[in-house]
Amino acid sequence: MSAAERELTVRVDGTRCVGTGACARTAPGDLELGPDGRARVLRPVSDDLPNLTEAAELCPVEAITVHSAATGELLAPRY
Amino acid sequence: MTVEHGEAESAEPLIPLHCLRHAEPGPPRLTALPNGTPVWLATRHADVRQVLTDPRLDRASLYTPDAPPTSTGPNLLDDPEGLLNIDGPEHQRLRRTVQRAFTPRAIERWRPWVESVVEELIDGLEASGSPVDVIAGLTGSLPIAVISRLMDLDGVDHERLSYWSDHALSTSAYPAERVRQAMREFYAFSEQLIAQRRKNPGDDLVSSLLQAADVTEGVTEGQLVVLVCGLVVAGHETTMTSFGNALVQLLTESPAAWARIGADQENATAAAEQLLRAVPLGDTAEIPGLLRRAVADLEIGGVAISAGSVVAADVRTANHDPEVYPPSETLDHFAPLGTPSLTFGAGPHHCLGAWLARMELELGLHQLARRLPGLRLAEPVEGIAWRTGLLTRSPASLRVAW
Repeated sequence: MSAAERELTVRVDGTRCVGTGACARTAPGDLELGPDGRARVLRPVSDDLPNLTEAAELCPVEAITVHSAATGELLAPRY
Repeated sequence: MTVEHGEAESAEPLIPLHCLRHAEPGPPRLTALPNGTPVWLATRHADVRQVLTDPRLDRASLYTPDAPPTSTGPNLLDDPEGLLNIDGPEHQRLRRTVQRAFTPRAIERWRPWVESVVEELIDGLEASGSPVDVIAGLTGSLPIAVISRLMDLDGVDHERLSYWSDHALSTSAYPAERVRQAMREFYAFSEQLIAQRRKNPGDDLVSSLLQAADVTEGVTEGQLVVLVCGLVVAGHETTMTSFGNALVQLLTESPAAWARIGADQENATAAAEQLLRAVPLGDTAEIPGLLRRAVADLEIGGVAISAGSVVAADVRTANHDPEVYPPSETLDHFAPLGTPSLTFGAGPHHCLGAWLARMELELGLHQLARRLPGLRLAEPVEGIAWRTGLLTRSPASLRVAW
């Protein structure tokens, strides 16, 4: 797999986010809580699939999705 | 004065929770708890959200020696070793030991089984014949059956679990000494359960949280004991309350909604979400909202609040904030919610069991409305006996007919 194929994009649904901060503690390189108490994405692309998958799965309101940057395919959460 | 809940006699009948009037949301204002402790009350949706998510407000400092008294008496929620009263990284570590069991995916796996429990309980209601008490037969039985299965407590007497849960969340219903005694028994039960699951682990929630705690630094035995009790109580009391109060609303005011809930599971899912928002869990006489304490000076909704202040988040008023939820004469059960309600809180202490509670409520409402489309109250709404003196209020019994 090429580096480009491993690139991930993370999205936060700001309407759903209730600011638990679980994602920011799980994937601190990619997510933080903003001053409005909602999660926000720190960088346009990431390669940290394990932590981002866990962050997306632990979010109690399913506000976080992780996609393949190249294809847009949903990688997490996958239920 | 102490009253036995469910037997409380008052001159005026208590009005159903969905009929309570809500304060106009406004900027935070200074008021007082019943014991006189000053408290800043946040009522607007945005302000309540901030109180619950801002790291400059926490729970642990409500229990430090310098904290003003806020407790309503002995109860589980005020135990400083409880998950609710720990903050920051320590809280996250403890919460992670159980969080995985409550993700939407983990909960979804239980759906067929929960559905079968609901069906069995409704079979029982039908077999008893009309009229019947739907609290004993369904809304009170379902949550305890579900949490017992998740925690593998099937050999434990459900009535004992109910008794402990009830006392653990009481305010004025029982004498303080009786509450302390019930909580001692409850904690001893939890300690024994933990010892037993350490020796013989299974694939239940208690075993999995103990295994997770074993590989987590800094989780204490006391925290685990309170956590196990908390799981029993939280899985029981609040869901029963929501379900019972939702039925009072639907059966007294919304026969058309009842039909739609029975027609389609998706309608029931939407209605559960609206009912969770619109019908509060209890009165606000004892505690005006979810309490936090400021650990630094901060501003909420344009009002300066100094470090050390106690702040209450009035979720009930915020859930009716006209800025967020357009007001209407009658509840539209099927309107999409848009902004999530604050019923399950927000921030790090957002309800762990939110998805489980939703699932029980939406399955319970749908199946009951499908099987008994002509369901109605068999007693006047003014005659409902309420469980009072607890942190929540719901019918002690509710006779229904079809």
